[in-house]
Amino acid sequence: MNVAAETLRPLILICDDERPLRELIKAALGDGYRYEEAADTGEAEELMAADLPSLLVLDVMLPGKSGLELLGELRDRPETADIPVVIISAWHGEYEVTALGSGADAFLGKPFDPDELAHTVERLIAA
Amino acid sequence: MRHSVGVRIAAVTFLAAGVLALIFTLFFIAERDLKRANSATSRSADVSAAGVNLRARVSALDAAFRAALQERTATSTSDWHTARESWQPAAAQLASAVQSGPDQQRVHEIESLIHAYVSDFADPLLEIARVAPSTAHSPALSDEDRIRLTTITSETDAITAAAARTAASRSRSADAFADRVTKFGLAALIITPLLLISGGIWLLRGVARPLREVVDGTSSVAGGDFTVRLDDRRRDEFGTLAKAFNRMTSALATNRDELIARAQRLEESERRKSELVSIVSHEVRTPLASILGFARLLLERDLTADEQRAYLRIIDDEATRLASLVSDFLDIRLLEDKRFPLRSNHVDVRQIVVDQTEALHVRNPGHQLDVRVEDEPVMVLGDEQRLTQVMVNLLSNAEKFSPNDGKVTVGIHVTPRNVRVYVADEGPGIPPEHADQLFEPFFRGDAAAAGIAGAGIGLALCRRIIEAHGGRIGFENLQPGARFWFELPSLAVTESKQLEPAQQA
Repeated sequence: MNVAAETLRPLILICDDERPLRELIKAALGDGYRYEEAADTGEAEELMAADLPSLLVLDVMLPGKSGLELLGELRDRPETADIPVVIISAWHGEYEVTALGSGADAFLGKPFDPDELAHTVERLIAA
Repeated sequence: MRHSVGVRIAAVTFLAAGVLALIFTLFFIAERDLKRANSATSRSADVSAAGVNLRARVSALDAAFRAALQERTATSTSDWHTARESWQPAAAQLASAVQSGPDQQRVHEIESLIHAYVSDFADPLLEIARVAPSTAHSPALSDEDRIRLTTITSETDAITAAAARTAASRSRSADAFADRVTKFGLAALIITPLLLISGGIWLLRGVARPLREVVDGTSSVAGGDFTVRLDDRRRDEFGTLAKAFNRMTSALATNRDELIARAQRLEESERRKSELVSIVSHEVRTPLASILGFARLLLERDLTADEQRAYLRIIDDEATRLASLVSDFLDIRLLEDKRFPLRSNHVDVRQIVVDQTEALHVRNPGHQLDVRVEDEPVMVLGDEQRLTQVMVNLLSNAEKFSPNDGKVTVGIHVTPRNVRVYVADEGPGIPPEHADQLFEPFFRGDAAAAGIAGAGIGLALCRRIIEAHGGRIGFENLQPGARFWFELPSLAVTESKQLEPAQQA
């Protein structure tokens, strides 16, 4: 795969403090994307400052600033307001409502179906 | 000086009864005196009447004697004989009227005088007159007649006068006494109500004021204020009541505080339990998500052998983690048990520290690890599995609560009596307000807010394990970070105590 083709693939930023879950998300989405990984929201912000991703997969319970707080901040800034965000959390129910209310494009509860995640991401990037 | 209520009531009652008894006694005495004075007066009247009657009989006797002496007729002689008998009933009447001994004596003397006059003077003279009338008319005899009669009448008068004087004096003293009783009665009429009123006031002050205090205090308690206390220094019944009241209010306050504290503890425990349920579901879901997700990928996608192996590795790791999580939750039960079952073997603490630090590095390569241990084994007597659990917990806390590229320092410090193991991180440290609760079950401090997973079991379990080994656990704040440590008795110390029954699992 050459460099040009490499840059054509959409960049997905995965922010989750659990390494096995980051691996699962990458495996579920497959080779069609480029990935960046962050273990907490601070790391995710640093990565986004360098390069804006095409989509963000975001956990809620994270060390330091929570995923929902980061989501709110992204939506408040014009350059990041339109980045699609998929929230993945073990906390179902109220977090789902809050996440979608705060501007998340999709919410998946843990455990999630890898194919469902793949379809959701595909749909959001195509839109 | 405080008097008891009983003493006050008794005092006022006795005062009233005493005053009434005194008044009635005095009136009774006065009434009796007046009665006596009246009867004396009426007796004196009887004495006067009897005296007057006797004088009249004596005058009649004298008149009959003179007539008989002058005329010496049958009529006059018979009149004399009648008069001679008629004075005796009058004398007897006077004798019965006077009653008193000396006066009766005087009446008997008068009777003797009359008797003497009749027998020794009149009868002989009439006999002489019948024989020699001229001799009987001498002036000397006439004088003797007069003297004898005067003596008799004056004696009689003296008796009646004495009786009158006695009656008058009785009456005067009775009047004077009655007068004094009347004055006393008037005074009593004014003083008694005053005395009774002041006695009543004294009684009321001993009852009403403390009663008001008790009523006020009771109202406060009814209103929920259990801090109210009565003055219990009084030495009367109210002092006793105040003491009982104060005991009651303080008991109520204690009970209420205990109930509130118990309710708060229950509430806290309920809150922690419901938090625990959420935590459990979160903690279980995270590894479960990996296991299910990778299993689904393995089943549904065409994967290379390397990919398959890598995914199975993750599934294995996460399943192991899930198993240890389940065993952690099962250990919650142990926190509440009085007995904590331990195996007791020779354990190399150094090996545990090295192994678990390496395992942490494999799990999370981000942290820098600084392991400061010597090469020789550090042996203690204990339960290897439990001590490993403590080490895993402390290391995983250090990892969870510090930045991803932070340094974790682990070391062992050996003294003749103790083996001390420490784990230091560069996290935010422990806020002073959490220090007391840090080792309590389900206490999580700010972990939830910081997005740090966990059930709040780890440190509580660590303390339980270390204390069951006869050791101590604690922490110090560093700049930055925190250093957790535990101390176990060295092998020499524990083996010297081996004679005691060991805790065997």
